[in-house]
Amino acid sequence: MQTNGLSKVFTSGKGKKVKKVEAVKGVDLEVKPGEIFGFLGPNGAGKSTTLNMLTTLSTPTSGKAMVAGFDLLKHPQRVREQIGYVSQAGGADTFANAYENLLLQARLYGISKPEASKKAKELVERFQMMEFADREARTYSGGQKRRLELALGIVHQPKLVFLDEPTTGLDPQSRAYFWEEIKRLKEDGMTIFLTTHYLEEADNLCDRVAIIDHGTIVAVGTQLELKRQIGAESIIVEFKGEKDTESAKVLFGSLQFVQKIIAQENKLYLYVQNGEGLIAEVLRMLDKEKIAIQTIGLSRPSLDDVFLQKTGRSLREGKQ
Amino acid sequence: MKDIYLMFMRHLKKSLRQPIWLILGLSQPILYLILYMPLLKNTGVGAASATGEIVKMFVPGMLVIMGMGALFAGFSFVDEIRQGIIARWLVTPTGRVGLILSLVLNQILTLFTQSCILLVIALFLGLNVPFMGIVLTMILILLIGVTMSSFSYAISLSVKDEGVLASITNTVYLPIMLLSGIMLPISLAPNWMKNMALFNPFYYVVEASRSLFAGDYSNMMVVKGFAIMMGFTLLAVWLAVRALNKMTA
Repeated sequence: MQTNGLSKVFTSGKGKKVKKVEAVKGVDLEVKPGEIFGFLGPNGAGKSTTLNMLTTLSTPTSGKAMVAGFDLLKHPQRVREQIGYVSQAGGADTFANAYENLLLQARLYGISKPEASKKAKELVERFQMMEFADREARTYSGGQKRRLELALGIVHQPKLVFLDEPTTGLDPQSRAYFWEEIKRLKEDGMTIFLTTHYLEEADNLCDRVAIIDHGTIVAVGTQLELKRQIGAESIIVEFKGEKDTESAKVLFGSLQFVQKIIAQENKLYLYVQNGEGLIAEVLRMLDKEKIAIQTIGLSRPSLDDVFLQKTGRSLREGKQ
Repeated sequence: MKDIYLMFMRHLKKSLRQPIWLILGLSQPILYLILYMPLLKNTGVGAASATGEIVKMFVPGMLVIMGMGALFAGFSFVDEIRQGIIARWLVTPTGRVGLILSLVLNQILTLFTQSCILLVIALFLGLNVPFMGIVLTMILILLIGVTMSSFSYAISLSVKDEGVLASITNTVYLPIMLLSGIMLPISLAPNWMKNMALFNPFYYVVEASRSLFAGDYSNMMVVKGFAIMMGFTLLAVWLAVRALNKMTA
C-alpha cells in the first residue's frame, strides 16, 4: 500500500461561517507486503480518519493512494474486494450468532454458501469460539466479541487487513491473546495495518511504525531506527519545584555529554549515551550546586521518547 | 441482487428475534380499533351510520398510521451505525443502494404482515369492503412504508443519534397524523384546518383510501393520492441514498 499526500479536511457550516478542520494533512505512507505496520498517535491525531480514507469509508479531500494493488480513488470497489477491516467499534451483528455472522460476511464477498459455511466453522475453531459460537453475539464478553470481529475481518482471506485500535478496552490477558493472533495473521502471509495509542502494542507487535500527531506523520521506521534517531537513553530527574528545575536545566545545558534536554513540568529528561554510568555524575553535580531532587531514574529509549522528542509531549500522560 | 436478498434475510431474522417492534407497530391501531372506534357511534359522525360504515371510515386511517410507523425504522439503524455494523458492511463489496433497499423491503414486509392482521381484526369488527379496494389501499400503505422508512434512514444517517432522531420523529408525527383526518374526517374540521390539510400529503392518502374502501376507484382523490404518494416515495428514497453517499464523502 502506498499513499501520497493524503489529506482530509472537514468542512462544517456554510458561507462565512465555514469552519475547516484539517484532520489529516498530507500523509505519505508505504506499507510493504507481509509486514505489520503500526500507526501510533494520541487520540485525535488523525489515525481513524486516515484509516477511514484507506478503507473507502471516507473520501480524501486531496492526495492519492494505492491500496492492495488498486487506485483508491479510481477503483474503490476493487479495493473493497481485497481488504479486510475491523473498526474500533467492532461491528459484530449482535442479534446473530458467530456462525451466522461469519456466514453472511463470507457470502457478501461472493463466497458460495457451502464454502462460506466451511470457513465459518474453521474460523470458529481457530479463534476458539466453539463454546459460545451458538449464542447471539449480544451475550458475548468484550474479548469474545472482539475475537469474532477479527474473524469477520479476515473471513475472505484478504491480503491486507486494517485494524482500528484492535485491543482498546481489552483486559491484559485478552490483549496478549490478540497480539498472538495478529502475529499469526502475519505468518499466514497477510499484511496488517493497525492503529493504536498503546506504546507497548506498537513496540511489541509492529515491524514498522509511523507516529502521527495533529494530522501529520512525525516519524516513520522500525522501532530500532526510530530510537536510534533520537539517540539515547534518558536520565529522568524530578525536582521539587520550578526553580530547581530551571537551575538544573541551566546546569546541564552546558554539558557535553547531554545531547538534549527536555523539560516537562518538574521533570528533566537528559538524553545521554551511557545512562547507567552517568547517573552518579549527575547526582554529584546536583549535590555540588545544592539542588535537591525528588526522584531520579534511568529510561531506555522507548517510542514515547521518540514521540516526546518530535512533538514535545508524552504519549503516556493522560492515556491509560 | 443476491446481496439484497442476503441482507434482507439478515434483517428478517433480526426482526423475528426482536418481535417487540412488530407488536408495538400493531398495538396502537388495534387499540384504537377496539377502544376508540366504538365511541364514534355516539358522536355526530357515527350516530346515523351503521357499524359497517364507521369501520369503513376508520380503518383506512388506522392503516395509514401503521404505514407512518415506519418513520421509527431509523432507531434500530442508528444503533447499528453506532455498533460499527453499517461501517463493516460498507467496506464489503456490497452495494450501498442495496443496503438501503434491503432495509426498506424488510420494513414493507413487516408493514404488510401488520396490515393483514389489522384487516382480519377489522373484518371481525364488521368491515365489509370490496377486495379491489383493499388491494389498492395496500399499495398506498406500502408506498407510505417505503417513504417513511427511507426518510427515517436518511435522517439517521445525518444525525447518527437516537435522541435527535426521536425529537424530529415525534415533532413531525403527531401534527401530520392530526391533519390527515385519520381519527375523524377533515370534512368535520373548521375551514382553516381544511386549508392546512391540503398541504399534508397524507390527507390525500387517507381520503384516497376512504374512497377505495367505498368502492369508488375513479375518484379524483384516488388519483391525487397515488400521484402525491409516488412523488413522495421517490423523494424519500433519493434522500436516503444521498445521505448514504454523503456519509462516505
